[in-house]
Amino acid sequence: MILLVLGLLLAGGGVELILPKNGLRNILLISIALIHLICVASFWFHLPLDAISGFLGLDLFGLIILSILSLLFFAVSVYSAGYVGNEKGRSNRIFTACLLFLFFSMTLVTVSQHLGLFWVAVAFTTLMSAPLINFHHRPQALEATWKYLVIGSVGIALALLGTFFLAISAIQIKSLVLSEVLSHADLLSIPWLKVGVIFLVVGYGTKMGLVPMHGWKPATYGEAPGPVGALLAGGVTNCAFLAFLRISQVCHAANQTEFLRPILLALGILSIAWASLSMLGQVDFNRLLAYSSIEHMGILILGLGLGGIGIYGSLFHAVNNAFSKGLIFLVSGNLFQQYHTKRIRDIQGVLRALPFTGGFLIVSFLAVTGIPPFGTFFSEFIILKAALNDHNYGIAFCYLLFLSVVFIAMASIILRMAKGLPEDATMENPQKEPLITTIPALFLAAIALLLGLCVPPFLDHVLRQSSALLGS
Amino acid sequence: MMTSIWLDMALAVIVILAICLLGTSRLGSIVALFAFQSSILAAVPFLLGGEIGIHKLVITIGTLLVKVIFIPYMLLWAVRHVSIRRDSPGILGVSTSLLLGGLLIALSFFLSSKLVLSGKTFSGLLIPSAFSTLFIGFLLLISRTKAITQVVGYLVMENGIFLFALLLFETTPLLVELGIFLDIFVGVFVMGIIMNHIQNEFDHMDTSQLKSLKE
Amino acid sequence: MILVVSVLLRFVACLLFSPFLLGVIGKTKAFFAGKKGPPLLQPYYDIVKLLQKSGVYSLTTTWIFRAAPLISMSAVLIASFLIPFGDFKAPVQFWGDVILFAYLFGLARFFTVLAALDTGSSFEGMGANREIVFSCLSEVVLFLNFTVLVVLSKSFSLSQMIGDRSWASWTAVGPSLILVIVSYFMILLVENSRIPIDDPATHLELTMIHEVMVLDHGGPDYAFILHASAIKLFVLGSFFVTLLIPFQSHSLVINAAIFFAGMTGLAVVIGIVESVRARLRMNRIPSFITGAFVLALFGLIIALARAS
Repeated sequence: MILLVLGLLLAGGGVELILPKNGLRNILLISIALIHLICVASFWFHLPLDAISGFLGLDLFGLIILSILSLLFFAVSVYSAGYVGNEKGRSNRIFTACLLFLFFSMTLVTVSQHLGLFWVAVAFTTLMSAPLINFHHRPQALEATWKYLVIGSVGIALALLGTFFLAISAIQIKSLVLSEVLSHADLLSIPWLKVGVIFLVVGYGTKMGLVPMHGWKPATYGEAPGPVGALLAGGVTNCAFLAFLRISQVCHAANQTEFLRPILLALGILSIAWASLSMLGQVDFNRLLAYSSIEHMGILILGLGLGGIGIYGSLFHAVNNAFSKGLIFLVSGNLFQQYHTKRIRDIQGVLRALPFTGGFLIVSFLAVTGIPPFGTFFSEFIILKAALNDHNYGIAFCYLLFLSVVFIAMASIILRMAKGLPEDATMENPQKEPLITTIPALFLAAIALLLGLCVPPFLDHVLRQSSALLGS
Repeated sequence: MMTSIWLDMALAVIVILAICLLGTSRLGSIVALFAFQSSILAAVPFLLGGEIGIHKLVITIGTLLVKVIFIPYMLLWAVRHVSIRRDSPGILGVSTSLLLGGLLIALSFFLSSKLVLSGKTFSGLLIPSAFSTLFIGFLLLISRTKAITQVVGYLVMENGIFLFALLLFETTPLLVELGIFLDIFVGVFVMGIIMNHIQNEFDHMDTSQLKSLKE
Repeated sequence: MILVVSVLLRFVACLLFSPFLLGVIGKTKAFFAGKKGPPLLQPYYDIVKLLQKSGVYSLTTTWIFRAAPLISMSAVLIASFLIPFGDFKAPVQFWGDVILFAYLFGLARFFTVLAALDTGSSFEGMGANREIVFSCLSEVVLFLNFTVLVVLSKSFSLSQMIGDRSWASWTAVGPSLILVIVSYFMILLVENSRIPIDDPATHLELTMIHEVMVLDHGGPDYAFILHASAIKLFVLGSFFVTLLIPFQSHSLVINAAIFFAGMTGLAVVIGIVESVRARLRMNRIPSFITGAFVLALFGLIIALARAS
């Protein structure tokens, strides 16, 4: 079953390269996303069997991330059909193919049970997203792609080294299949494990965009087209988060949680702090979103580091963040296509010019900053509770302080964008907004809201079960 | 005993070449030095001793094809197509980066003295020289400004990682190692395409010019 | 009696053979340039010709200017007694002679520099300045090389460090030895003012290092200076050759032949390096020496790692 899904994505990407018309390619993209969604839904009823001698398999962590990816990709596939359609005279051949290949590698990340294969899959996400970032072919986009590739490759190389160290540590187990490593964790050599964990944290942390390895993120998110930004911020970062979950699993099994926790806490608080301060006075909307993404990655890692109920909060936040970030990036795509700029100063009066997009802008702003009734509020609150349970009052204080800085920074920028009069007189009256780019946004907004109003019992069940795997 | 001395020699030469890379600024020589280093690297699996299996053969031939022939050829092609032949010594200057390289080597030996390898060991030099190559590659990557030197720095890092992978002959299945090769290959391929684009847009490949996107 | 004869023979060989190395280097360079070049014995002709002249001394100079060439020459000759020539043991050996060895060259250099300053000429002052700066750097590397050998041989005497090869089985210490040899060769070029550092044949004072210091010397003094630099090359080179070639033979004649062939080979290698490399820009020379330093450091680290 897993192999079928993977094969479908790979074949789909290949076919996209051959198909002659933009329309056909869009139909194929959306239908593959739909099939994927159905398959993933079926996985919730019974997990698929392992394949290739335990290399591929789906556990609860994988299931959670895979479902996020599937829903998000469905929305993005519909949206990008409209997005590329608006760019006159552009062929979407490379774009759609790369989207599918990227989706293939992200799916592979979630189903890899072998840590080496896991690394290969993460590496492929980097490579496959590079052409997507360069979609607009502007010099700045090239620069962003270059930064993304160089920093990303170095991060990936370090992660590979960490994987090797882990393998050296597990030399007596003679396998890097996760279940084998976990069940024989007492055979791991601890010094090598520690070095391995450090390199893995730095490597995958680069991929995730944690401070101080975040250098590529503002540039890349700043230049990526809206749908690609949504996939990067909601999908690829979650793949990297899955890597952190795996590291925690191994450390937990080897009784080294106390070694990992301070590292995660430091990285988390540092990311939140740096991102929130950088958001003040941002002039570029997409870069604002990039820093917001760094902040949320910090929250995820912080929750993971706090342990206990924080792991539940962290997993729940991963779900919430993916949809709210996806939503706000789709909004930014709409804005870019209407205003042809990302400069905050030049974008005004969105509510008047584009009522739907403006509405979503406000909604996504509330969702991203964690205002009730959105799910992000509850997950951020659970993480705060974990800090208080742990008597980590310093961390709790910093956390609250920087979250309020984020709220102030984003509120002052986004509310100014939404209100007022557009500078361009032709935009005075409401513009035509194509259905195809508003429905996916509506879809994501609905999910983000739903998760806040009531957590579906099956999701709650899985989240509890999987956080129990890490000992909470 | 004979295999051990040749292994030690090869490892020392790999690190020496990495140091030479730090001291070189002509782009052509940088690519040539990298190719030379990779060719010695390709021989290392055979110097480790043990029987010569298909596994080693695949790795060696793969390294030769990708890192000694294909990638240097492509990089040289890129060098020919830009008007710049030299890299500036970068933010550090030659002497400083050479000295830093020496410090990094000392650091690697210190690090590896802390890490004891259980099971069979090949040579006391394998882990330290792997660390040294890795660190020097990283230094090259962050201290130079030209795109090609940065790519070479990345590849030197990969060479260091390759040495670590040799510790894992028994446990890592071929599949993963093939995946690694493929990744390096595709990575450099994509980087090459992008470099070409950069060249077309900016007419040269100095990444220090790429700084309109500041923090 | 035999001792006296052997010491005398050594002395004479050192004096007689050293200018030949310069001749070999010159011939090699001429060969690479596609020229016929000066005859192999040209350095001898030069020295003899200079010795027949009488000295000319500036009125502003003091006795230092006259004494310096002799002191340099004798310091270098004394150093030659401390070092084994291939299989021929050094007549003088004691614990720590390696430091005396290095500082005898230091003494020679010190007096050359003083003499250069004594002339009061700005060119020679500039040369003295450069000579001191670069020798400060290269001395560190030279001692680092000695340290590696001390660690490897666990001995503080030159004869045992390089002459007694029982410790130096290649299988055990190969990598450090290779590193020391490469690093030492680079320092050899620096110490003897050979091409990537300094061009002995240049005619432009502004680019000179060593040659500019001795511009005011003439006649027998200049002959001494020329000969001293040839002997310096010979002594430092014999260090290199003794280290590099493991001597197996028991026959005295064959050993001598191997040693002199090795020295000639070294001269050819230096000639080749001089032919294929251009002189480095003055500001790149510290980088060159730093490279040698890092190599020696790497060798030291390996040696220490093995010793512990």
